[in-house]
Amino acid sequence: MAKWGQRVKRWMTKRLDLPADAVMDLPRITMVGQLHIYIENHQGVLRFSNEELRLLLKQGQLLVKGKDFVLKNILPEEILLEGKIEQVLYLDRPTTDDAKPKSFTLGP
Amino acid sequence: MNNFWKEPFYGYVRVKISGKYVELFMNRCIQYHIQIWEIIRVDNDTIILSMYVKDIKRIRPHLKKTNCKLRFHEKKGFPFLLKRILHSRGFLSGALGFLLVIFVLSNMVWSIDVNGASPEVEHKIRKAIDDIGVKRGKFIFRLPSTQQIQQEITERFKEITWVGVKLQGTSYHFEVVQKQLPEKTPPLSPRHLVAKKKAMITRVFVEQGQPVVKENQFVQKGDLLVSGFIGKEENSKLVAAKGEILGETWHVTEVEIPLKTKFVTNTGDRMDKLSLSLFKLDIPIWGFGKIKYKDYEILLNKNKLHFLKWELPISIERAHYLETEEISRELTTEEAVKLAKDMAKHNLEKQIDESAKIKNQKVLRQEVENGKVKLTIHYDVIEDIGVEKPIIQGD
Repeated sequence: MAKWGQRVKRWMTKRLDLPADAVMDLPRITMVGQLHIYIENHQGVLRFSNEELRLLLKQGQLLVKGKDFVLKNILPEEILLEGKIEQVLYLDRPTTDDAKPKSFTLGP
Repeated sequence: MNNFWKEPFYGYVRVKISGKYVELFMNRCIQYHIQIWEIIRVDNDTIILSMYVKDIKRIRPHLKKTNCKLRFHEKKGFPFLLKRILHSRGFLSGALGFLLVIFVLSNMVWSIDVNGASPEVEHKIRKAIDDIGVKRGKFIFRLPSTQQIQQEITERFKEITWVGVKLQGTSYHFEVVQKQLPEKTPPLSPRHLVAKKKAMITRVFVEQGQPVVKENQFVQKGDLLVSGFIGKEENSKLVAAKGEILGETWHVTEVEIPLKTKFVTNTGDRMDKLSLSLFKLDIPIWGFGKIKYKDYEILLNKNKLHFLKWELPISIERAHYLETEEISRELTTEEAVKLAKDMAKHNLEKQIDESAKIKNQKVLRQEVENGKVKLTIHYDVIEDIGVEKPIIQGD
């Protein structure tokens, strides 16, 4: 069922020219050089430190690596990070050594 | 998106959150719409973040649930700044001192301008102004009013027709109108000399023109004295008649002097009062007690205080109470007559030219009536009776 839905959505974005991030709940990432990274459609912060920001997405995780990170602003689904950004990585599954993300749940 | 420009107005705090699951705490904040920003990681289980003061109460339950602890790190923003300022004695006293200095300086004389006077006269006026007390750095409210200064300066200088004194903020402006010496009249146009009044000619001295009258001749007002036509009829010429025609003229003046007069003078005794008036309220500063004089006159001097260009509702009032006395004077008839003669002569001198001479005076009538001495005096005066009358050509 989920696969079906995914397929339909992908088809819609291709054929109907709908923005992929809106239809498929994908993150929209805007970067200004290495200075800023602005991420929309995230599902929560898993880990934040000076060198690393790990965000939960609808599917998998987003890992941002760099130096001197400051979370300038956090809003539901939006995040603005400043610092020197070196890498942006997509992780399909939570890594085994990181126990926290697994146990993380949203909601009260 | 948050633009971080209004935060300083609300007042916000930097707080240290420490605990194993600070990320969890962050997520809960986002979920419950508690704004957090500028998040920094300090060490393994501590972060620093900013939040509004009003949200502090709301995060307590989330702290408990996520096992985090909160410590205040910094207070920021305008409300805290204001609080700090008001609590620091140095700043407050500095601000008050500043206002005080401005206040003192706004009530001082800063500049004195003199306009319209020649350098020489200007120098003299500046000296006089200095004498009166108007100097740079003096307090305006301690100086005499502009009218008084104006009067004083006008009286002191003969070469000034008028002086206008204006106080504009902290500067005095003196507008001076100097007397102009009468310029020599340019070459004269053809004219006659005619008699100014009824007279007996005593001397004829003609510089230019054809004399028509002789000595000891009686003339009426308007009679021709010196003609502007000279030469024989065929080659007669027009000139400006010029000369001095002295004639004896007659004046009658009447003077009345009461034998008994009353007038009011100052005894020289005075009392001064100084008071500060705030809005409509008078607060005496100096000079208490009732005025003990029976008759007195009051001189009021009110000075408004200023702050920069604004007038404050505070003014300094100086009141001088001068004791007065009514004096009555009684004259004998002889004294009254003498006074009357002096007065009559004085009156006459005002009517005639300075060059005129009184040749003879004669008391025509003297009577005492209703406590008054009435004198009628006749004067013979020798004066220049010539007056110019232009010849209009083409007549």
